[in-house]
Amino acid sequence: MRLRLLCIGWVAWLLVNPARAADRALSVTIYNNDLALVQDRRDIEVKDGRQRIEFQDVSAQIRPETVSLSAADIAIVEQNFDFDLLTPAKLMEKAVGQEVTIVRVNPATGAETREQAQVLATNGGVVLKIGQRIEVLRDDGLPVRVIFNKVPDNLRARPTLSVSIIGSHAGTRRATLSYLTPGLGWKADYVALYNESDGKIDVQGWVTLTNSSGTTYDNAQTLLVAGSPSQLDGGGQPNLYRAPVRRQNMQQPGNLQQPGTESGSRERLGDYYLYPLAERTTIANLQTKQVSFLDVHSVPAEHGYEFRNRWLGTAETPQSAQTIYSFSTSAHAGLGDQLPAGTLRFYMKDKRGDPQFIGESRIDHTPMGSTLSLATGEAFDVKVHAIVDKRTRLSIFDWQTEMRYELTNAAPSPVVVKLRQEGLWGDSSVKAESQKSTRRSADAAEWSVTVPANGKTTVTATFETRY
Amino acid sequence: MRAYPLLGLCLIAASGIAHGAAAEVLAEPPSDLIVTVYRAPYRDAGSIDLNYLNGFALVTDTRLVRLPAGVSRVRFEGVADGIEPSSALITGLPGRVIEKNRDARLLNPSALIASAVGKPVELLRTNRKAGTTQRLPGKILSDAQGGVVFETVEGIEALRCSGLPETFSFESLAGLSARPTLSVEVQSPVAVTEEVTLSYLARGFDWAADYTATLSQDGAQLDLGAWVTLANSNGVGFPAAHVQMVAGKVNRENGQVEPIDIGGRILARCWPRGSTSDQPPVILREEAMNRMFKMSVAAPAPAAMSLAQVVVTGSRVQQEQLGDLKLYRVPERTALASRQSKQVRLMDQLGIPVNTIYGADLAAGASESGSTGPAHRWLRTKNTRANHLGLPLPSGSVAVFGSYNGERLLQHESGLRDIAVDEDVEIDLGESSDVQVSAKSEKTSVDSSHAKLLPIVPGVALRSVKVDDIESIEVSNARAAEIDFDLRLSLPEGARIVRADHPLGAKNGRPIFRFKVPGNQTVAVRFQTQSIGDGILRTP
Repeated sequence: MRLRLLCIGWVAWLLVNPARAADRALSVTIYNNDLALVQDRRDIEVKDGRQRIEFQDVSAQIRPETVSLSAADIAIVEQNFDFDLLTPAKLMEKAVGQEVTIVRVNPATGAETREQAQVLATNGGVVLKIGQRIEVLRDDGLPVRVIFNKVPDNLRARPTLSVSIIGSHAGTRRATLSYLTPGLGWKADYVALYNESDGKIDVQGWVTLTNSSGTTYDNAQTLLVAGSPSQLDGGGQPNLYRAPVRRQNMQQPGNLQQPGTESGSRERLGDYYLYPLAERTTIANLQTKQVSFLDVHSVPAEHGYEFRNRWLGTAETPQSAQTIYSFSTSAHAGLGDQLPAGTLRFYMKDKRGDPQFIGESRIDHTPMGSTLSLATGEAFDVKVHAIVDKRTRLSIFDWQTEMRYELTNAAPSPVVVKLRQEGLWGDSSVKAESQKSTRRSADAAEWSVTVPANGKTTVTATFETRY
Repeated sequence: MRAYPLLGLCLIAASGIAHGAAAEVLAEPPSDLIVTVYRAPYRDAGSIDLNYLNGFALVTDTRLVRLPAGVSRVRFEGVADGIEPSSALITGLPGRVIEKNRDARLLNPSALIASAVGKPVELLRTNRKAGTTQRLPGKILSDAQGGVVFETVEGIEALRCSGLPETFSFESLAGLSARPTLSVEVQSPVAVTEEVTLSYLARGFDWAADYTATLSQDGAQLDLGAWVTLANSNGVGFPAAHVQMVAGKVNRENGQVEPIDIGGRILARCWPRGSTSDQPPVILREEAMNRMFKMSVAAPAPAAMSLAQVVVTGSRVQQEQLGDLKLYRVPERTALASRQSKQVRLMDQLGIPVNTIYGADLAAGASESGSTGPAHRWLRTKNTRANHLGLPLPSGSVAVFGSYNGERLLQHESGLRDIAVDEDVEIDLGESSDVQVSAKSEKTSVDSSHAKLLPIVPGVALRSVKVDDIESIEVSNARAAEIDFDLRLSLPEGARIVRADHPLGAKNGRPIFRFKVPGNQTVAVRFQTQSIGDGILRTP
């Protein structure tokens, strides 16, 4: 009989639990910088007068200062965020001065003896007052069960938000709870299959959601925003798995070559692009979820090589050139979309027709119509050996450097390498060179060098640097 | 006992509230497996470290999937635990892929308790004396911070604080899977059975080439053999797989990977349990343990492990070009088992002509004056067909063996970088104490007749003068045979050698003297360098 009551109690508990899915509509907006806006619409039961309403199943990392609750005919008195968690130690601590039931178990007979006890202290060990005697709990190591009557009000299994309100009349009404939380993030992942025979790529784009907020968002309408709104205090704990931050080092080989100027049909919010998910989805805790957003075929791509010598220096051994793939995100002859920041993985089919991974590259938010030139790795067979042949001091602030670059190609077809000499600081000029260079900037000179199949090409240049 | 059917009923009632609509479909185990192993991207040379495999692999498996019409959730069980979920690709599924998911939570005791918080469970408590077990329906109230609080009809208690044997019995797995699982939600208009290919990148693999070089008796020829050593530190094995290796440096964005949640231990932490005989710093010890626990949770990756077996196979790998990379195929299907390292023959090249070179690389100038040290020794050849090589040499380690009375003896072990065809190959042989190099600065002279003065402020000027150094470097050979010696110098910026008693060459832009040192003799090289020295000078 007692059991039946208990069972009814559970089911009732499940039904009364304000988190149940049937009358709850969640929408989650996720930004790139480990930030999400959660809008939680649920039916709440409001009595007349002052009362406390608990919201369970909110993000475990909720930023309580950003919470706002709105519903018809209520006035909000105060809002509390209880993060004191229910643990055995806390339970015992809150029971200081209170009565608990202890059950002693006789180790020889198994017989149970029940006694009422008062908890006096929990400093290091638990001290109990039983009748007129004082005892340390389980000081003798014998089994003693401690039974508490109730859980203190503000101890929870999970951090819980509660709001005190005054209802003007009783009844069920729709409430909207919205808050910001870290722990949810997204980035884009691209898969590019390069076809060597016709120089084209097929690109698939996936958005990858990660949830480490400690809570599952059931059946949520999800909107992804390609943007990182600034946050004052960085907002909550850092999420290791969030989208890549803006690349600081523009010296990385391969990046955005030419920013695009085309507009697409994607929705925007201010200057952020929006990527709504077509269907409601459940974002489980500790889950990585991927949804497709881009699928284009046969986009022309160019395969090339690039080598950067960072300063006018010598390398002891030949260094491999970078393999570069360039393509456009333009509407014609390109991907035809804005690309949210993420990682682009390149694949290529091997002799047997199985796609093999050939490297990956990170991209920033990229407008439509841009030209991207991405490095996938180092070429095994194409190497550059940069050598300082001679460095002469012309005067105190005037140096002359004779550079020699030996480009080798062990592949059976000729290649073109973009050879770039960087670090031309001060007033640097090219005094002599074996082939014409272009000056990409005051800081760098670039040659386009053709290296024959199984052959070698040498480029020489003399730089004069004044400072 | 009569209570059980009732309990079951109310559980069905409870679970019915929670569940969605998509049909669960379990993909068959892989029928075909391809594993392509990539090296640790930032290792230039050297062998793999079995305790920390920094490379990765592209795993492609083919599985049979039986899809019903409508929306279903296809589960691919047993993917590598080092999977990078965002790299997963699924091809061949009919209909529309709605989404793909990877749950990091695996079936483990703490995940079971975490997913049962607030849900009905059974508490099992055994009477040690009588041996009877009492089953009590209850509810877990909290599992926060490693402690478990539960409620039964008797009241609220904490797990394993009483000293009695007690545990929970759970009703369901709460959707937790035992093995790393990837799931795909897909919508198919009709029921079909289809071969589906799943591919993903996974961490916890690595490979390197391990060369053994055997010098002939006269030291003029080398036999070079090599193994490909590859290893898998994942908890998942790949039976009957096509195994391949890729050489060449592949770009990797070293982003964090969402790790598998292997679950913490259930600590069942209680209230303070100090007794009258305890020493005070109990709390500190508890904190230390908490820290240890956190550390062990923070490093879940497939890092530390001991590899149980090393398997050596007989056939040779086949090389082909993959874009700008080199692909090596193991010719037969093979098993790449969990926590296993495997070796496959890469090459056996015999009779490669080599030169043994002694040498030293010294900084010219007073800094090394008076110093004496052993010379370096290495083998030099060129990676050409004429030299019985002429094939790409992937990076790894080289162990050089010499022979002594017909026995092989290890001489030196060193790393080797990626070497393309037609490149120079240099194999380090370490130092030779028989050949010693001593440097001596003989004379420094300042030519103040050509001094230049650059006034900076009145009374102070920068003075530049020509500085000439005469140095000599002696190379002594305690061996009976004549040796080839490469003496390489690094000069201060702007300095040059103006005179020398040996012919002067250049290597990589730096001066080099190449000469022979006859057996049991000493050769001295004298040279004069000229540079411009600056100094601040007070002018009257």
